[in-house]
Amino acid sequence: MPHIPTDTDVYEVFAQHGSSTPLNHVGSIVSPRRDTAWHLAKETYGRRDDLVTLWVVRRDDMIVPSAEDRGLLAAKTRMPHRQPGFPTARRRDRAAAAETAGSASQVRDSAPAAHRDEAPGAGEAGLADLWLALADDLFVLGNRLGERICDYIDVEEALAVGSIGQEALAHAGTILTLRGFDQPAVDAWFFDRAQEQWQVSRVIERITDWPSTVACGLVVAAAVTVLAEQTAQVETDAAQLSAIAAVREEQLVHLDHWRRWARALSDWPETRAEFTRAYAEVTELAGDVFGARPQGGPAGALPGDPAPAATLHERLAALVGGGPGSQLPEHPLPRTAGLGGSALAHSLAQGRVVRDAYAPGVFS
Amino acid sequence: MLTANAAGHRGYELWDPMPDDVREGARRFASVQALNELVGVLQYVEWLDRAPGHTRRQMLMAKIQDEVGHGHAVARVAEDLGVPRERIFLDYLEGHTKLHNIFHFSFQTWEELGAGLLLTNSAAICQFQSLAKGVYLPYARALRKVEREESFHYQHALDLTHEVMTHGDAVQRRRVQDAFEVWLTRILIYLGPPDTDTLHTNRMWQVGMKPDSNDAVRQKWLNKIIPVFRKLGVHVDPELVRQAPSGEWEYAMPDWAEVKKLIANGGPSSQKRLDWVRNALDRNAKYRRAMQGVA
Ligand SMILES: [Fe+2]
Ligand SMILES: [Fe+2]
Repeated sequence: MPHIPTDTDVYEVFAQHGSSTPLNHVGSIVSPRRDTAWHLAKETYGRRDDLVTLWVVRRDDMIVPSAEDRGLLAAKTRMPHRQPGFPTARRRDRAAAAETAGSASQVRDSAPAAHRDEAPGAGEAGLADLWLALADDLFVLGNRLGERICDYIDVEEALAVGSIGQEALAHAGTILTLRGFDQPAVDAWFFDRAQEQWQVSRVIERITDWPSTVACGLVVAAAVTVLAEQTAQVETDAAQLSAIAAVREEQLVHLDHWRRWARALSDWPETRAEFTRAYAEVTELAGDVFGARPQGGPAGALPGDPAPAATLHERLAALVGGGPGSQLPEHPLPRTAGLGGSALAHSLAQGRVVRDAYAPGVFS
Repeated sequence: MLTANAAGHRGYELWDPMPDDVREGARRFASVQALNELVGVLQYVEWLDRAPGHTRRQMLMAKIQDEVGHGHAVARVAEDLGVPRERIFLDYLEGHTKLHNIFHFSFQTWEELGAGLLLTNSAAICQFQSLAKGVYLPYARALRKVEREESFHYQHALDLTHEVMTHGDAVQRRRVQDAFEVWLTRILIYLGPPDTDTLHTNRMWQVGMKPDSNDAVRQKWLNKIIPVFRKLGVHVDPELVRQAPSGEWEYAMPDWAEVKKLIANGGPSSQKRLDWVRNALDRNAKYRRAMQGVA
C-alpha cells in the first residue's frame, strides 16, 4: 500500500563534513519508526563522504518560522546600528553632511524650527499627534529596558529585552522621521527638550520593578499596534505604510512577549498578587495613551486625520482589558505634559551630561 | 571529533571521550569567561543613560546586549559540561571565582570609556582568536561567534575615540591620553603573567586548550593597537611601551602582588559589582521561577 508521509514520520537530516565546517541541512527522509530514522538517514546521506557527525530531527519537533515571520529575520535591515561597518559609515556620512552645511553648529540650526520651542497647537489631535506622544513613551521605555539587560532575570530574557529595547528606540526614531525630522532634530527632540515639553503617558511613571515593566511593555506594545492598524486604514502612501507595517510587526512580537510574561506571573502563586496589583495600577494609568494633545509642527508623512480616540481606546481595551484585574478606564483621558516623574527627570539630566560638554551638533 | 588542529591536537565535541584535563579546562575557561562577560558589562551599563545621542544610545545598547550574549554563549558551553548558570554567579558571590582586573574599575569620563573600550576590545579579540584554536570545539565555536561581534565593538570604540579626538577640547583629548596610559597597563595585566619560559609546562598548553603564550598574545595585541592610537593622535610614551629594533615590544611589567589584591575584590568598584549581582539575583529569583514554573 502506498505510504503518504505525514509530518510525524518526516525527519530532517543535518550532516557535518569537517570539524571546522558547520552542520548543514542535507535533506530529509521518511521513517515510519523513530528508532530506524538515524540508520536510514545514514544510508541516504552518508554513503560517500566521511562525516564528522549526522543529526536527525523529527520535523514535527522542530520550531520553524512561518511566512509572516520572514521580516523578523532580516536583522541587517532592521537593526543597521549593530553592523561592524555602521560606525565608520555613519562617521563618513556625517563628515560629508557637515562639509555641505559649512559647520557643525549649522547642522543643528537646520533642524525644522517648527519642532522646537513652539507652543502646543490648539484644536483636535490628529493621528500624527498620537504618534508623536507614543514616540516619547517608546523612547523612555526603550531606555528602561536597556537597563534591564543586566538584571539577569535570565540570560535569554536579557537578550530578548535588549532587542525589544533597541526596537522601541528605533521605532521612536522612525515616528519622528515620518514626521519629517532629520537626525539632528531627532536628537534635539529626545535630548534637548525640557521635561515640561514631554508628553509621556502616566504608565511610564509607574515603571519600577519587573512586574510593572511587563505591564507597561504590554500596554505600550498594544497601543502602538492599535495605532498602526488605524494609520494603515487611512494612509495611502505605500512608503509610509511599509514603515508603519514594520513597526507594527515588531510590536506584535513585543506584545506576545509581554503577554507570555503576564501569563506566567499571574499563574505563578508566588508572583500572582504582586503582578495583579502592578497590572491594575498600570492599566488604571493607561487611559491617557490615546489622549495626546497637538504639539504643532507639520504632520509630515503621517496622516493628520483627526484621531478617533474613543475607537482606539476600545481596541486597546480589547487587547489589555482582559488582563488580571485590569483597571483601564472606560473612556480615554487626555495626556498631561511634563509627567514622567523623577525617573524621567534623572534620565534627561543624565542624557545631557556628555552632550552639553561638547559643541552643539557634535553628537547629532 | 577526531580531527587535528594546527598543533597536531585532536578536537573534541561534547559527547566525545576526552582527557579529563580538556574537559576540566574547557569547563573552567567557559565558566570564568561567562562570569566576566556577564558582570564585566556592568562597567558599560553605567554609561548607557549618558550616551549623548539617539544613534549612539542604540549602538551602546547593542554592545551591552552583545556582551550578555557572549556570556550566554560561553555559559551554555559550561552548562553542557555540568556547570549550571546559577553556579557561575554563586561561585563569584561566594568568592570562589574572580573577575579579571579590568572589571574592578569604573570609567570616570566618557572620554575614558571610548579609549578604555578600544584597548579592551582589541585585546579580547587577540585573546579569543588564540583560544578559538583550542581543542574543545563547542568553546571554539562560541568564541568565533563572540569574535564577530567584537569586531562591531571594536569599530564602535574606535568611533567613540575618534569623535573625542576630532571634536573634543584640549581637556577632553587629554582624558583620552590619560585613559590610554592607565588602561594600557591594565590590559597588559589582563593578558596574564609572563609565561614564555613556562608555557611548555602548562597543562592547558600541553592538552591543546591554550594554543599561545600570554606573551605571544600580548605582542600580537601591541602590534595591532599601538599604531591605531598613534593614528588617533595619542602620544605613546616610550617609558610605557616601546618597540625594540627586533620588532619585539617592551613594557614595564606590573607589580603582581598589587594585582592579586585588586582581583580579590580589592578594586574601587569590586564591592559595587558584587552588590549589584547579589541584589539582581535576589530581586528577580521569583520571576525566573514564575517563567520556569509554567514553561
Ligand atoms: Fe564580550
Ligand atoms: Fe565586546
